[in-house]
Amino acid sequence: MLKRLQSKSSGILTAADYKKVGFRIVYWVILFILLVAVLTALIPVLWLFISSFKDASELTSTPYHLFPEAFSLKKLAEVWNMLNFWQYFLNTIIVVVGAVLCSVVFNGLLAYVFAIVKPKGYKIFFGLVMASYMIPALMSIVPLYQQIIDFGLINTYIPLWFMFGANAYYLIMFKNYFESLPKALFEAAEMDKCGKFRAFFKVVIPMSRPIIGVVAIFTMTAAWSDFLLPYLVLNDDSMMTVMVKIYNIQSTMGSIDGFGPDKLLMILTISILPQIVIFALFQKQITGSSAAGAVKE
Amino acid sequence: MKNTNKLLCDRSSVSYKAKRLFKRNWSGWLLMLPGLLLFLFFVWAPLAQNVVLSFSETKGFESVGFNNFENYTRVFHDPLFTKALLNTFKYIFWSIIIGFLVPIFLGLLLSEVVHLKSFIRLGIYFPSIVSGIAVVIMWSYLLDPNPGAVLNQLLSALGIPASQFLSNPKLTIPLIVVTMTWRGAGGTVLVYLSALQNIDNSQYEAARMDGAGAMSRIWHVTLPHIKPTIRMLFILQIISVFQVFYEPLVMTSGGPDGASVSLLLLSYQYAFKSFDAGASAATGVILAVIIIALTIVYLRLSKPKKDKVARKWRKYAQTSAK
Repeated sequence: MLKRLQSKSSGILTAADYKKVGFRIVYWVILFILLVAVLTALIPVLWLFISSFKDASELTSTPYHLFPEAFSLKKLAEVWNMLNFWQYFLNTIIVVVGAVLCSVVFNGLLAYVFAIVKPKGYKIFFGLVMASYMIPALMSIVPLYQQIIDFGLINTYIPLWFMFGANAYYLIMFKNYFESLPKALFEAAEMDKCGKFRAFFKVVIPMSRPIIGVVAIFTMTAAWSDFLLPYLVLNDDSMMTVMVKIYNIQSTMGSIDGFGPDKLLMILTISILPQIVIFALFQKQITGSSAAGAVKE
Repeated sequence: MKNTNKLLCDRSSVSYKAKRLFKRNWSGWLLMLPGLLLFLFFVWAPLAQNVVLSFSETKGFESVGFNNFENYTRVFHDPLFTKALLNTFKYIFWSIIIGFLVPIFLGLLLSEVVHLKSFIRLGIYFPSIVSGIAVVIMWSYLLDPNPGAVLNQLLSALGIPASQFLSNPKLTIPLIVVTMTWRGAGGTVLVYLSALQNIDNSQYEAARMDGAGAMSRIWHVTLPHIKPTIRMLFILQIISVFQVFYEPLVMTSGGPDGASVSLLLLSYQYAFKSFDAGASAATGVILAVIIIALTIVYLRLSKPKKDKVARKWRKYAQTSAK
C-alpha cells in the first residue's frame, strides 16, 4: 500500500512529502474521511433496502433491530402485484424514451443552428434562451398547465416528451461541443451541396456520439425522476409513471387498505433498483459526463 | 427604361436586400423553428403569461381583467409569504455552510488520494442517481421523529435525547439542506475533481522549489486555479436554492407552521391548494426578479477580471507598438 504513495509524483502532496511521518498520517486521515463520506452516501440506501423487508411493527421496535426477522421475497411480490407495478414501469419507459428522443433531436438541432449555421437574427433567440436559463421552470407552472389543458394535451405523454426538447442546459452542452468540432467538416458538407438539414443528420450527428450519449443519459435520469408536471398532467391511474404513483401513494397512504409505511419502503426499493442497474451499466459515462458540465437540477 | 433597369439592378435597394437576406438564411431559420416553438410553448409563453396573471384578477387559472398591484399587496400582507421570504435566506445560509463547502472539501481530498480512488468516486456519486422523490421520501422515514425509529435509537444509544427532527422548526431547514446535499454533493465533487486534475503539475513543482509548504501550495496554487469553478458553482448553488420545492413539499408540506415553506412551494400552494392563480403568479414573478437581480450582481462582481485582462492586453499592445 505504501508503494503507491511513494510513487505519487503529482498533486499538492507528493512522495517527497510522504517521507515525513506527519504527512503520512495526514494521508490516512484523508482516506478515512473519504471512506466515511462513501459510507454516508451508501448507508441510507442500504438501510432502505433492508428495512423494506420489515413489517410495520418492526420499523420502530425497541430495542431496534437493524435486520428484519425474515427476508421474504413474498412481500416484494405481494406489493408488486397489489399495485400492478408493471404498468407504471411501462409508462415510465414510454415517457423516458420519448423524452430522450425529443431532447437529443430538438436541443441538438437548435444548438447546431446557434453554433454552426448562424442565420441572421439567431443572436436574439440565443439571448432569449440564455435569459430564461436562470429562471426556474416551475415558476410558471400555472400558465403552462393551463396551456396544456387548452391544447387538449392533458392525460397524454406529449407534453412530457416535448418539454425535454426545450432545455437550455442541454442546448448549451450541445452548442459547446459543436463549436469544438473542426470547421472544415461543415464546409465540406456545404461544398457537397448537402442541405443544412441533411448535413445535421449526415455529418453532425455521427460526429457527436459522445455528447449525444451524455445528454441522453442526463435526460434519461431527469425524465425518470421527473414528477411535478407528470403529476399534474397524468390524471388517469393507468397513465401514471412510477414517480407519480409513488407520490400519489405517499400522500394518500392512510386511505388505502392494508397499506403501511413498510410497503411504501418496499416500493421505494423497487423504484431505485432500475436506476442502480442503469448506473452500473453506464457508470463511466455518467461519472465522466457529470464532470464535463456542472450539473445542478 | 434606363431608369427602371437601374432600379432593378441596384444592389442597395430594399427589396433586393430582403431577397438576399431571405435566400441566405431561410434554411437556417427553418431549422431553428421546431426548437424555438418548443421554447415558446414550454418556457417563454408561460413566463409571459405569468407576468400578465400577476397583474390580473383571475378566475380559475385565467385572467379576467387587470387589477394593478392587488395580487402583490395581497401576497405581501400574507404572513406566510414573509415566512417564505425569510426561509429562503435560511435555506441560502445553510446551503452555503453545508451544500457549498462540503463538495469543495471532498473534491480537494479526493484529488490527493491514490488508493481506492475510483471506488470512492463511484460511492460519493451514487446518491445522485436516485430519483429526487425517492430520496426525499426515504429521508423522511430516516428522520422519523418516533422514539423507536432508526436515528432516534442511534441517538439514544449515544446518550443523546430523542429529536423531533423535521418537526422541530429550528432543525427542519438544516435537515432539508442535508437531504439535498446528500443527493447533490457527488456531482459537484466530480466537477471540482476534474478542475483540480487540470492543474498543471509543474506549478506545484515550482511552488515546492520555492519552499512552499503544503498549506501555501493549496493557497497559492490550488485555490486560484479552481476559483472560477468555485465562483460558478456558488452562483448555481444559490440559484438552485431558490428552486427548493420537492423537499419541503414531500417532507414537511412547508411545516411545521410554515417553518420550511419556500417561495416556489408557496407559489404552488397558492395555485393548487387555495386556487389563487394571481397570488401564485405574483410570488413567481417576485422570485424571478430576485434571481435576475442576483444574476446581475454576480455578473458585476465577476467583471473586474475581464477589465484586468483588457488592461494587460492594452499594456501588451503598447509595449509591442514601441
